[in-house]
Amino acid sequence: MKAKNAIRPSNLKIYMYLLPGLLIYTFVVLVPLFMAARYSLFEWSGGPNMTFVGLQNFATLMQDQVFWKAFGNNLFIIVLSVIGQVGIAFLISVLLTRSWVKWKQFHRTVIFIPNVLAAVVIGFLWSMVYNHDYGLLNNVLSSIGLESWIQPWLDDPDIVMGSVTAPLIWQFIGFYLIIFMAAMQNIPEELYEAAKIDGASAWRQTWYITFPMLKNTFKVTIMLCIAGNMKVFDHIFVMTGGGPGNSSTVMAQYAYDVSFNRFELGYGSAVSVGMLVLSLGLIFISQLIGREKKS
Amino acid sequence: MRKVSSFGKTIMNTALLIFSLSAVFPIVWMLYSSFKTQQEFTLNIFALPKNWNLENYIEAFKIGQLHNYFFNSVYVSLISVFLIIFLAFIIGYMIARHDFPGRRIIYILFLFGMLIPIHGLLVPIFIEFKNVGLLNKPYTLILPYVAFGLPIAIFLFESFIKQIPKEIEEAAIMDGCNTFQVIFRVIFPIAGPVIATATILSFLTAWNEFPFALVLIQDPALRTLPVGLTNFNGQYTVNYPQMMAAMSVTVLPVLLVYLAFSKKIIQGMTAGAVKG
Repeated sequence: MKAKNAIRPSNLKIYMYLLPGLLIYTFVVLVPLFMAARYSLFEWSGGPNMTFVGLQNFATLMQDQVFWKAFGNNLFIIVLSVIGQVGIAFLISVLLTRSWVKWKQFHRTVIFIPNVLAAVVIGFLWSMVYNHDYGLLNNVLSSIGLESWIQPWLDDPDIVMGSVTAPLIWQFIGFYLIIFMAAMQNIPEELYEAAKIDGASAWRQTWYITFPMLKNTFKVTIMLCIAGNMKVFDHIFVMTGGGPGNSSTVMAQYAYDVSFNRFELGYGSAVSVGMLVLSLGLIFISQLIGREKKS
Repeated sequence: MRKVSSFGKTIMNTALLIFSLSAVFPIVWMLYSSFKTQQEFTLNIFALPKNWNLENYIEAFKIGQLHNYFFNSVYVSLISVFLIIFLAFIIGYMIARHDFPGRRIIYILFLFGMLIPIHGLLVPIFIEFKNVGLLNKPYTLILPYVAFGLPIAIFLFESFIKQIPKEIEEAAIMDGCNTFQVIFRVIFPIAGPVIATATILSFLTAWNEFPFALVLIQDPALRTLPVGLTNFNGQYTVNYPQMMAAMSVTVLPVLLVYLAFSKKIIQGMTAGAVKG
């Protein structure tokens, strides 16, 4: 290490090389973090009048039922997604390792497709799926004689959260599928061979070898699920805009509404701070829990 | 030892096939329905178009200004990708190769960027850009797209460059290359696969990005496709085939690239997670 090597540029030169990237990153990511904290202490609608209100915005935020409802909706999506995305992806990836399953490459490629599409398009597409008269869902239901199941999917406050979560699950199953399949390739083949010699069935091998060997992968995927679903916005913005009422509002949608529909940029900043704190907190907690189990 | 019966295998294979097909069906439905007239569509939403007419597409471009949005998306995405790869490669190289004061802090700062929920920055970035007059410029969106794209690209480059033997660079220096030439003439060509991964990843993120494009750009002439679509929807709330044509235009470039390079793209989009 200490041997002066010829390829090392001077420190100054290194910093010059790093500067452009660091500047953009600082300007777009780091400075706004501090700005959010600062503006959250003001009452401000974007004009020249800014009133310093101290922690008033945060006191309001604590009592703000819509904000906590939105947070609850984020949690709802997270729970359903962990079951739906991680669960289904795991099952399919187990199936895809079976020798008798055909068209593996096809399944992989096809299930991953929704992943590469714009969330906005997915949102519009599913609004069309849910449409009362011309929607795919209701038409499929009535063609198989299940007319009684037809619902106002996006207009009933009681079921709207389920309806907006379905496309999210659908879009990202492929992503988790690939992660599981990659992880399964890293499980040493000898484990399965030993189990086979002992006469363990394929499903027992899954339960006693694959499942425990993928513990870390489960942790990673659940963390990704949490991080990903705390920032849900595009799909819901397009499908319901948070409605009917506030029934499908999520935190990002609420921060948007407060800031750009009600023009309360000060309070909008406070909502953003709340969102950042809750998201990072949740990720941190999930990491802690993950670590505890390890030891 | 229980074996899956051949009957069971057939059932499972069929079930899996149904699952896969139903996973893409909404997309396929969108693509073929975009060639139907609205009347045809309302008559039977499942049927294939009788005549594959391009009317909806022509209308979408003529009335919906789709070409404008399309051009903006291409422009913003390509420049962002170029800058992300260029800047991240330099930073990744420096962090991987050289020990300098602040190296760890800089690396951690960038890794932190992969963790924070960027949607929480939507409002503060809007305020910042408003304060310094950066809203509604042709380069407005490039700034956040580059900043959000840097962390994962730096992470990918750094871990790749670390594994390249130093001897190659030393030989290049002996031959009189300067640092810039070492990075882009010597290391860059070796890093082909990981550059492809980072390129795909940052292109898809930029092409599909919505909330920042929605908030930072109000000038219709500068809108990108995802925001353009929401406009479009207002004008044609009931005309589904028309809307589907506009949606198809938005996803078609991505779909075509995906079908050509699906392996690479799948690998690219899951790279961060699989490694982490």
